[in-house]
Amino acid sequence: MIRLLKGLFSIKQGAIRAAALVVLACLLTACAHTVSVDGRFPAPVGNQHPLTVGIFLSEDFRQFTYSENRDDRDEWNINTGRAQKNLFETVLGSMFKETVNLSQYPSNLPQGVDLVIVPEVRELQFTMPRETRVNIFEVWIKYDMRAYNQQGDAVAEWVITAYGKTPTAFLKSQEAALAQAINVALRDAGATLYTGFERVPELQAFLASKQRALSMKQTEADNN
Amino acid sequence: MKFLSALFSMSLLATLNSGCTTVVIDEYRRSAGELAVGDSVVILGRRHSSEYETEPDLIDCVGQTLHNPKSGVNVIPEQQFVDALYPWFEPRTAPMHIKSLSKLMDIPDVRDRMERYGIKYIVWIDGNTETTSSAGSIGCSIGTAGAGCFGFGTWDKESDYEASVWDFRDQELSGKISADAQGTSYMPAIVVPIPLIARVQNNACKGMAAQLQEFLLPPQSASR
Repeated sequence: MIRLLKGLFSIKQGAIRAAALVVLACLLTACAHTVSVDGRFPAPVGNQHPLTVGIFLSEDFRQFTYSENRDDRDEWNINTGRAQKNLFETVLGSMFKETVNLSQYPSNLPQGVDLVIVPEVRELQFTMPRETRVNIFEVWIKYDMRAYNQQGDAVAEWVITAYGKTPTAFLKSQEAALAQAINVALRDAGATLYTGFERVPELQAFLASKQRALSMKQTEADNN
Repeated sequence: MKFLSALFSMSLLATLNSGCTTVVIDEYRRSAGELAVGDSVVILGRRHSSEYETEPDLIDCVGQTLHNPKSGVNVIPEQQFVDALYPWFEPRTAPMHIKSLSKLMDIPDVRDRMERYGIKYIVWIDGNTETTSSAGSIGCSIGTAGAGCFGFGTWDKESDYEASVWDFRDQELSGKISADAQGTSYMPAIVVPIPLIARVQNNACKGMAAQLQEFLLPPQSASR
């Protein structure tokens, strides 16, 4: 009888412990937000630069997740990896005469590549409507961009800053509103990458020398 | 049961009712409407301000209300147009003045796409709708005898929009239309909350779309 009571008591204790764990887990997950951004972006319209460019998106870049766990905020895990991979491949793919997606760099660089572009996320920040008292979600993303020549020497380093906002999350979850703001920021990053490439002095010089070489080649071909 | 169905009908009736809204439309016209068969109009929202965002649903509403191929108004949806001309109509890159538009037309691919769409007018809408004041309170409670809400709430909304009409072919400003709307919504709650919503943004949209139709079509066909 005593053994039976002991058994029942231990079952009860186990059940209580399990229930407490479930409640604790629920409370913890209630404060953790996960956002996975999966954007598709249109190809830019405009002139292409006469270059063959290798694009190297590192594993960290393709699976980038921003994690934040501060005392004054809920826990946030924001995955932008897939969306930014789509963006850079689409925009860079339309910017140049030819592009090659590189799975590794600097080893095994194919012949004929004029420039290798390597982007990296430097920073991601966001604000919620209750923090700014403005009824919008805002996102800032900063990218470090690096360009190398065929020999692996650095040609240029520049920074892309992107901003995105979305109106209030009325009838939307915070996660969905933030994902929308990130997609707007990524579109902005694409626009800055496309329109700002030629404004980087080192790249301007690189493009000019490439164009000079091409026109000389053309003149030689015409003379022959 | 009868009481409940009466309450339900009352709240449904009240939902169909709406609070009062006043709309004031102003127009400044520099040239007569010249929209011909095969021409298109695109309506775009200005999104460069950091304090507010011209709501995409307002732009959709104006576009859908204005779109009427039978009367000669063909409106291209905003997202479709912005995607097709990426990245030239993003918040950061969109032309702020008609003179900047001519620079954009130096890019052959952009010019081709604009011509393929048959764009005659670009309408830029800038502004937003906001809640300017609110008062009252509603309390809801639940008990063994049932549930119910009691109280009274009221809030004012104000819309302020300005549409700039650019003649894409003649590269000039054709005119401007402004729509100012104000309205007060009420929510009395006697057991069931009865919303009397003033559809401020929707009325500003309808007023602006009606004025735009008159503006864009040649004088003889506008009356159709």
